[in-house]
Amino acid sequence: MAKLIKTEDQIKYQSTITRRESLKWLGILSASALLPSIIGCEVSEQATNVVSTTDNIVKGHWPELQLTPISAKGYGKDPSMIIPPKSPWPKTLTAEQLTLVAILADILVPRDGDVPSATEVNVPDVVDEWVSSPYQRQQRDRLTILSALAWLDEEAKLRFSSSFVKLSSQDQIKIINDIAYQKNNLAPEFEQINKAFSRLRKLVLAAFFCSPEGTKDLGYMGNVAIAGDYPGPTDEAMLHLNQVLNELGLAL
Amino acid sequence: MKDFDYEVVVVGSGAGGAMAAYTLTKAGHKVLMLEAGRDYDPKTETPMFKTNAQAPLMGAGNVDKDFGFYDATVDGGWTVPNEPYTTGDTSDFLWWRARMLGGRTNHWGRYSLRFSEHDFKGKTRDGLGADWPFEYGELAPWYDKTEALVGICGTNTGLDDMPDSSEGILQPPPKARVPELLVAAAAKKLGIPSAPMHRAVLTRPKDDRQACFYATPCGHGCSIGAAFQTTTSLLPMAKATGNLRVITDAMVRSVDVDTNGKVNALTYVDKKTDTNIQLSAKVIILAASACESARLLLNSKSEHHPHGLANSSLQVGKNLMDSTGTGLGAHIPALENRPIYNEDGHTANHLFIPWWGHKQHAKGELDFPRGYHFEISSGFRAPGSGVSGNLQGYGKELKEQAKQYYGAGVYLSLRGEMLPNKNCYMEIDEEVKDKWGIPVAKFHWQWADHELKQVEHGLKTAKAILENMGATITQPLPSAEKAILKGGQIIHEVGSTRMGASAKDSVTNQYGQAWDCKNVFVMDAGVFASNPHKNCTLTIMTLAMRNSTWLATQLSKGGL
Repeated sequence: MAKLIKTEDQIKYQSTITRRESLKWLGILSASALLPSIIGCEVSEQATNVVSTTDNIVKGHWPELQLTPISAKGYGKDPSMIIPPKSPWPKTLTAEQLTLVAILADILVPRDGDVPSATEVNVPDVVDEWVSSPYQRQQRDRLTILSALAWLDEEAKLRFSSSFVKLSSQDQIKIINDIAYQKNNLAPEFEQINKAFSRLRKLVLAAFFCSPEGTKDLGYMGNVAIAGDYPGPTDEAMLHLNQVLNELGLAL
Repeated sequence: MKDFDYEVVVVGSGAGGAMAAYTLTKAGHKVLMLEAGRDYDPKTETPMFKTNAQAPLMGAGNVDKDFGFYDATVDGGWTVPNEPYTTGDTSDFLWWRARMLGGRTNHWGRYSLRFSEHDFKGKTRDGLGADWPFEYGELAPWYDKTEALVGICGTNTGLDDMPDSSEGILQPPPKARVPELLVAAAAKKLGIPSAPMHRAVLTRPKDDRQACFYATPCGHGCSIGAAFQTTTSLLPMAKATGNLRVITDAMVRSVDVDTNGKVNALTYVDKKTDTNIQLSAKVIILAASACESARLLLNSKSEHHPHGLANSSLQVGKNLMDSTGTGLGAHIPALENRPIYNEDGHTANHLFIPWWGHKQHAKGELDFPRGYHFEISSGFRAPGSGVSGNLQGYGKELKEQAKQYYGAGVYLSLRGEMLPNKNCYMEIDEEVKDKWGIPVAKFHWQWADHELKQVEHGLKTAKAILENMGATITQPLPSAEKAILKGGQIIHEVGSTRMGASAKDSVTNQYGQAWDCKNVFVMDAGVFASNPHKNCTLTIMTLAMRNSTWLATQLSKGGL
């Protein structure tokens, strides 16, 4: 099982994916060299830059990442569907980024009794495969998600003078609470990260529910061969439908 | 081919080509089939029971696999490597192609609705488009034969838009599922009936094919043969007669004529060796898909056929139609947290909403001609790369929200009839050639008011149905111009070599025989005189069966 390994002074995501690509730092450059890097080196003061507009002053910071486009090839138009490519392109998240994704994934989907957490079912590797893929939609997500990761580290450093990963759970949650809810009175400095975090949230959830354990947790009961006719809705499901029809003033 | 004395060359192995080959070989005629794509064996290549977790990107679609990683389409989709197409300056058109044995039948939706009496004589009724050169009654027995051979599940409904099949033809349909029943009830309140969808999916075993076991999406292909595709049915059955030979990776570049302008050969590119090969041909059936067959005819110019073969009417490439497409979805609060059960079924519509407006049309109550239907998307689906709902927060409450939304979304997809118009056609782009130097197709497209008004009506109706289900739709409906999908996007291209009663305004006669070349037939959707909203494949196969039966009698008589 993949996991977050915590030692006294280090936290690291350890994947159980056997064919993991060597971790690569694919030229994630900051636009102005003002940004704190997301691998956790010293914070740069300029990260608190205040963006001025003509009408008002918007508080906040946003990492203007300039990412080198992924140059790997896709899997083509005739991949084997029986034995899908396990590692169709090199994964590009650094160990530090993966660890941050793992922390976030487990905040989003923590262990729940017997149900494993997102990290325990390798969700960070799925996120890594996703953001490292050469296709358009994933490249857009790559910018969104890497920006979110960078923002979280910047914010952690501004508020607590530490990288996000090294914060206490309470301090991590303080930041997450500010960005995890779409609300009318959302502070302007959280608008962008709120959207980016939302994208990461859906990706993590999708990857979790796709895993065998997540699929079971969701309750999906299909993809099994049925002998004879399709049985249709259960009595319980029909009972519920009839209630619904009643309430809506409808009839079959 | 010295060892195989073929009488007929069939271009294409999809719905039309395979049915023609099956019919002719069963009648004792030797057929040589050319397929532009690679060989394909669904028995060994279909990803049955695979989960999205086992696929890259959780199975999500992209430019390599437009409909998702497991979609059966090989070497195709909206783009085909080395085989571009172009569009006019102001035209949006998408062209789905497959380059594999069995063509698009390996992944199609399997919806198999008969055209009705209204559909064959639309022009007589409303003055628009073109009539077919026969009535429904002519095709009815052939629909019976085709449905029996293909295996269609569904019921006779008695609805005016759904002609009955003869007794004993249809296989029983699967039971409807909860969201479909709710949609049916919501539509009923508006006076709109729902009906079991007719699908080319076996619910009873047939020939060497097993009955559906209600798992693993049909779009992936079907290794057990339950979901109809020519690669598990017509092609192996035709091969078993000993009368069929198939050459794959054979891209036909031209149909060739002798010095008198009579067709006597065709030339194909052997894609494996990149060489041109000319084959003599007594009779040629084009079933390469509506636009590929038209392209081939237009590219087969000669002294006797200066506008391309079979094109003295100048109608080849014209009258191009697709289905209209749009849709509206909503979250249905009443479906939240409902009891979970296995809702896979045969993995597509068990119920749908057929066109209900023939009487309104007759009374002049509608501001658009022709009809549409709604397909219903819903259910407890296998998890994939998307999670629905406006999810907030994290942790336990997040998972609870996701579970609450699971299976509570309903989407109604409109599929409607469009009319031919002068702005929708294809021609040859002389400037652009494919990898083998064959000039490519260039598409022109512009929806007319007919289609836009229909889409507007459809969106309003869909909204009313969803609201009857308790949905709250706060967003205003999009304009029809914005909501209508692109030309070609529903993958129902038809009409580019239409049949008719006269050589003046059609390309073939009622048997798909080219007016200009008696030994050239078209047996794909190019021959459609109109494009009813009911999905084209069943009618492609029915016409191919009828017309190749007629061809077989001509061959026996020596009439060609």
